[in-house]
Amino acid sequence: MEPTQVYSVSDFQAVCNQIMETAFSGVVIEGEVASFKINQGKFVFFDLKDEQSSVGCFMMKFALRFPLEDGMKVRVRAVPKLTNWGKFSLTVQAIMPVGEGSLKKSFELLKKKLTSEGLFAPERKRPLPIPLTKIGVISSTQAAGYADFCKILNERWGGLEVQVAHTQVQGMVAADQIIRALKYFNERSEVEVIAVIRGGGSADDLAVFNDEALVRAIAASKIPVITGIGHEVDESLCDLAADVVASTPSNAAQMLTRDRKEVIANCQADVKRINNLLNTKIDELVAQNRGEIERIEQQIVVKITSMEQEVQAQIKILAQLNPENVLARGYALVTGNIDIGNVVKITTSKTEIDAKIEKISERSQK
Amino acid sequence: MTKAKENISEKIEKLKTGVDWFYSDDFKLDEASAKYKDLTTLAKEIEDDLKNLKNEIKVIEEDFSK
Repeated sequence: MEPTQVYSVSDFQAVCNQIMETAFSGVVIEGEVASFKINQGKFVFFDLKDEQSSVGCFMMKFALRFPLEDGMKVRVRAVPKLTNWGKFSLTVQAIMPVGEGSLKKSFELLKKKLTSEGLFAPERKRPLPIPLTKIGVISSTQAAGYADFCKILNERWGGLEVQVAHTQVQGMVAADQIIRALKYFNERSEVEVIAVIRGGGSADDLAVFNDEALVRAIAASKIPVITGIGHEVDESLCDLAADVVASTPSNAAQMLTRDRKEVIANCQADVKRINNLLNTKIDELVAQNRGEIERIEQQIVVKITSMEQEVQAQIKILAQLNPENVLARGYALVTGNIDIGNVVKITTSKTEIDAKIEKISERSQK
Repeated sequence: MTKAKENISEKIEKLKTGVDWFYSDDFKLDEASAKYKDLTTLAKEIEDDLKNLKNEIKVIEEDFSK
């Protein structure tokens, strides 16, 4: 049999690698970690296995974004490779723990490591610069969590300039995309806060938010970061590294904005309050003036009473001087020329008498 | 900071200052009525502004997958 083509060993190995790269570019494989080790502080080796099979894996340590231990279930994105020594292996580009147990284990290991570095220290937290005018949002624009965030944001406040970086928020490529978006906002925008938003999902879906490089990027952000990831019960390392943690995307929108309904109600309450205050002040002034008026009225009454008493006294005096009163006491009034033979008029209290003068004599004083 | 936001913040601050005047020693009854009318108008303006204010949400044209 004539061979169609004869390869050298090296060429054959190169062709095999070429074919495998083409056929399995970025293949994702899930399995359990065994024989995990790091050589010279930078080369990572482990076997990926299941019940029947095992394949050797190699990766650089800087690409290792989650702590690994033997027995952990992981998902790797890798390129199959035939080495110069004819050994088949996977060159791992990205790796993520999967399954509740592995995720929890990885979470705890990385949390311990980053806590010891002070990455989650309370003194690192910065307050949100509220009121805000420019917000950067990192999320998938197709995600329900993003829609919730926008809905609440628009309901509560207006006039905000919101720049949205559309990224994947789950899966093996999500962490790098979110890191690039963080870099973009930090280097090429004027946003005052960055909101990392992702709605609820399974532990596997949310695993990206425990990626070491992403957690470090959030902690290193010059712009304050708020996270609104998953539901109330979910806690990620990104939450721990963020300046402010919201329990959900909707809650993040609430924390970033004032409620316009509340502001309107406060303005109305202010106006009502000063209206009441003004009325009270006017009432006080009226009450104060009323006191003055009452005092003046009392003085007038006293004056009038005094004058009335004076008038009564004068009336009494006048009454005593009335000639009728003198006549009533038995006296008589004589009018006319007092000469002998003349007729004069004598008036008493009850009569008038015409009398002729017969004699005039001097009266002795007693 | 957008123009609209500046105006609303300024108006809210102005309202607050106006309300504080009523509680201050500067309060004068003969000025109070005019000031009250001004603040009532201002509060209504704030309400109208807030009701009509919209956010500008823009998706960045940057491919973060690369």
